[in-house]
Amino acid sequence: MKALKHPQISEQGHSHLMDFSLQKIQFLDADGNWLTARPDFASDEWLVQSYKNMVRTRVFDSKAIALQRTGQMGTYPSSLGQEAFGVAIGMSLQKDDVFAPYYRDHAAHLLRGHKMSDLLLYWGGDERGSSKGPKQDFPVCVPIATQITHAAGAAAALKIKNQDQLAVVTIGDGGTSKGDFFEALNVAGAWQLPMVVLVNNNQYAISVPRDIQCGAPTLAQKAIGAGIHGVQVDGNDVLAVYQAMLEARQRAQQHKGATLIEAMSYRLCDHTTADDASRYRANEEVKEAWKNEPIKRLQSALVNLNLWDSEQEQAWQTQCSDEVDKAVEEYLKTEKDTPESMFDHLYEDWPEVMNEQLDLLADKLSRQQTH
Amino acid sequence: MSAVNDMNQAQAVESVLLEAVNLALHYEMEHDESVVLLGEDVGTNGGVFRATSGLKEKFGFKRVMDTPLAEALISGMAVGMATQGLKPIAEIQFMGFIFPAFEHLFCHAARMRNRTRGRMSCPMVLRAPYGGGIHAPEHHSESTEALIAHTPGIRVVIPSSPARAYGLLLAAIRDPDPVVFLEPKRIYRGSKQTINNNGQALPLDTCFTLRQGTDVTLISWGACIADTLEAADKLAEKGVSAEVIDVATIKPLDMRTMLTSVVNTGRCVIVHEAARSFGVGAEIAAQISEKCFLNLLAPVQRVTGFDTHMPYFKNEHYYLPNSEDIVAAVDKCFREA
Amino acid sequence: MKYFKLPDLGEGLSEAEIVEWHVKVGDTVKEDQLMVSVETAKAIVEVPSPQSGVICTLFAEPGDVVHIGEPLVEYEGEQDDSGTVVGDLSLSAKQESKDDFIVGSAHSQNNQSVIKATPSVRALAKRLEVDLSHIKPSGEDGRITTNDVEKAARLNFDKGQSESLKGVRKVMAKNMAASHAQVVPVTLHDDADVHGWFTKGNPTQDITMRLVHAIKQACVAEPSMNVWFDGEHLTRRLLTQIDLGIAVDTEQGLFVPVLRDIGQRSLDNLREGLNALRGAVKSRKIPPQEMQGATITLSNFGTLAGKYANPVVLPPQVTIVGAGGIRDEVVAFQGQAVVHPILPLSVTFDHRAVTGGEAARFLSVMLEDLTKASVEN
Repeated sequence: MKALKHPQISEQGHSHLMDFSLQKIQFLDADGNWLTARPDFASDEWLVQSYKNMVRTRVFDSKAIALQRTGQMGTYPSSLGQEAFGVAIGMSLQKDDVFAPYYRDHAAHLLRGHKMSDLLLYWGGDERGSSKGPKQDFPVCVPIATQITHAAGAAAALKIKNQDQLAVVTIGDGGTSKGDFFEALNVAGAWQLPMVVLVNNNQYAISVPRDIQCGAPTLAQKAIGAGIHGVQVDGNDVLAVYQAMLEARQRAQQHKGATLIEAMSYRLCDHTTADDASRYRANEEVKEAWKNEPIKRLQSALVNLNLWDSEQEQAWQTQCSDEVDKAVEEYLKTEKDTPESMFDHLYEDWPEVMNEQLDLLADKLSRQQTH
Repeated sequence: MSAVNDMNQAQAVESVLLEAVNLALHYEMEHDESVVLLGEDVGTNGGVFRATSGLKEKFGFKRVMDTPLAEALISGMAVGMATQGLKPIAEIQFMGFIFPAFEHLFCHAARMRNRTRGRMSCPMVLRAPYGGGIHAPEHHSESTEALIAHTPGIRVVIPSSPARAYGLLLAAIRDPDPVVFLEPKRIYRGSKQTINNNGQALPLDTCFTLRQGTDVTLISWGACIADTLEAADKLAEKGVSAEVIDVATIKPLDMRTMLTSVVNTGRCVIVHEAARSFGVGAEIAAQISEKCFLNLLAPVQRVTGFDTHMPYFKNEHYYLPNSEDIVAAVDKCFREA
Repeated sequence: MKYFKLPDLGEGLSEAEIVEWHVKVGDTVKEDQLMVSVETAKAIVEVPSPQSGVICTLFAEPGDVVHIGEPLVEYEGEQDDSGTVVGDLSLSAKQESKDDFIVGSAHSQNNQSVIKATPSVRALAKRLEVDLSHIKPSGEDGRITTNDVEKAARLNFDKGQSESLKGVRKVMAKNMAASHAQVVPVTLHDDADVHGWFTKGNPTQDITMRLVHAIKQACVAEPSMNVWFDGEHLTRRLLTQIDLGIAVDTEQGLFVPVLRDIGQRSLDNLREGLNALRGAVKSRKIPPQEMQGATITLSNFGTLAGKYANPVVLPPQVTIVGAGGIRDEVVAFQGQAVVHPILPLSVTFDHRAVTGGEAARFLSVMLEDLTKASVEN
């Protein structure tokens, strides 16, 4: 933002107040060609690891869909085509950061140390699936955008406790229309909170396309209204997302406040396994979008750098499949939790008046056994 | 899509509950220009459950609006539209996401007529699929009608069959005050019934007697009606004649029908999916005890969900009341007599 | 399913190139029939049809690259729609497809037979073995009080249990009360001198049949005594047929079987009929129809005891004849004081429908007939 030192006043009384500008970050084009020099963080190991992480996510994701289709798991929101977003976040999160995901962050979860079988448990309808992970992280968030206000609170807590870490939170393009989103951004700006908000702009909120979700040309510019830094990145370029995260962390550590990162991507899959996107979008559009997908472009870049070949691809695919298969086995083997468990963890201490309801449950169970 | 349009021209239509909702919306939008629809995915996608299917094609984007993702916005805009001569039907995609809409429902929709002494009113309908039983992820199975019913100035209506969904939704749209219309998703695609697509509304503020009986009164609403009727069948085999009442309008309650029934049977079991404490059943039980005390042969029983959150779907069926639970509660009425 | 999309090919492959189609538009395919060969980075894969159907569109040409999730073919027919974005609606509860319902209540609002009592009073009644339906409530809102129950219990103890009327006794109680509430009864008493029945050479008279005959003659002479009268609508139905109800006393109570069409049947036939009816009453096998539809009734209480009476007219009838016991009395006959057998007669009529004159004429015909030594069969 730049204010001119000597404003000129027009006949209607107008004078220039200030300009705003937005920047975009991208390193690789859709075909994997470098648009600029390799950033420092993008060592050979880093590049290969980020690629492997994206592939691993996609293998897990495919299997999760298959499980739902065969009735062994519940409704599941795929992350097909959006792997770069989550992998970049997962690789940049530090141990003591607070992560507040929405519901499509499988890539980040896997890098955050969650077991594949736990993710399957959650989507398979078992609360124990969201009981694990770093103790300061929030579980999957279903009520849209409420995780942003939680992250603002977490960021405030970090600041109050003089901790150096970030509150990192994700959201879809649809979620940016919600009051929670604006309210949280606003306080992040007012209080200079160490928070990073990453928008996975995959162009669709179920059936609602981006252009009728919001009238502004970018979602990143919502940051300006909140007085925080905003930037748009190519969300299918894992390096771009990672770079934005690095800058955001630096910004926060220098007490320059929060960052809003809009990651441009495309939802190559249906909203969930119960949705059918062909009802509301043309197949040609999806076909075009495949050209920009994140895994293919990084693979090209790696191959060009002689860092990857088909043998390694084969080996890694096999390794990922094996890992996923083992996780599926563990998930399917897990006995569902007892009916009484529905009463666990309501309060820290058990209110005595609830004993009566345990009796009601016992009666109900005895009836179910005899039928 | 064409099948839907054909359906809407016909007079007598075989419909499941979901289709009956769609029929009623088509009918009323056809006959009343002031009726508009707004919500997430209601236009192009026809609603995530297809309740608004075919409406955008027929009536255009000015009357069927795909809103940005924001429930407070949806209910707030509905309030705004309703005060300016439109009849908005707002959809909240799932009852689990209705909470941001509460502010506008309770602070404004419920009070507009009252605080302007009748100068302004709020003829809006807020529709939401509610309840559990479809193995959905968390937050998608809520049953919090009691929270809304506790607020003065709002109507809460819950249909339990395609025919009643059709008639009650028409009544809700035509009602000059705000109505929250909760559609039990567990029976969205239950059996088909023949709907006479003649625009005839059913009365609000009244219960419906679905079965006549002399030995016990079973009171329920929504998806639990299916379990209650099943229980009545099982009771009939045991020689117990059960009267089944569908409350339908939760607020304001038609106590007269329920009390008359209990006066005649002397026994009452109330069935609802929602949590036990502070549920709608508690209000009905209190009124029955107050006004039928002298006719009761046994205490009023409630068969409900527990005071826990609806568990994730692997354990959903331990939470939801079933017909065996209802029969057991009726047995209790007879043991204590 | 209408669209078939390229399924996951495994091994992390996300796209495939169409090599060759094995079907064309318009073909009918069977489930598992090979549809298309595609080439992945690894191999050529044969893709089978997941269902039977008719192909109406192919979405790619040989050489085109298709990604997983993209449509390959379209079948004729309606799109399969899950109809939701979470969960599974096919788990929908079964419902009744018939849906008869009543708006509001199925009962009348004012059920007088409802017993009002608090649970503690009901429990007390149970303990004291008092039937709540026998008690007249003294509470101001119509409720039975503790006091009421205790009084009833004491009464049961001192005076014996009250029992609910059942069957014929119950019906009688209701009918008599109803009659009393509607009918305006007037009774004429007189005596029939029946010494003629006992003349030498005369067969013994069947008293009941003589009464039946007399009633028949009287009805013919005065048909306004054999009618059905509707007091509410003020209508009167003159009946051509005489169906005589005959009161029969039993342990269970009063039965009134009906001798049909006494005007057209012989006395022998009527006697047979009456015996049959009596037998049926005694063996408790009498069907209800046999006790319905009487046009006039005879109460022959004289077989037990009694002279005159005011028997109760049973609407819609307007007449009931009461016959007392035949007894020897000192009477004035042809100027002399003599001892003759006398049959006391009572005729009660409903003065809403019958005049005194009509009743008197009826009675006089009866008396004349009864006085005869004998009558024709």
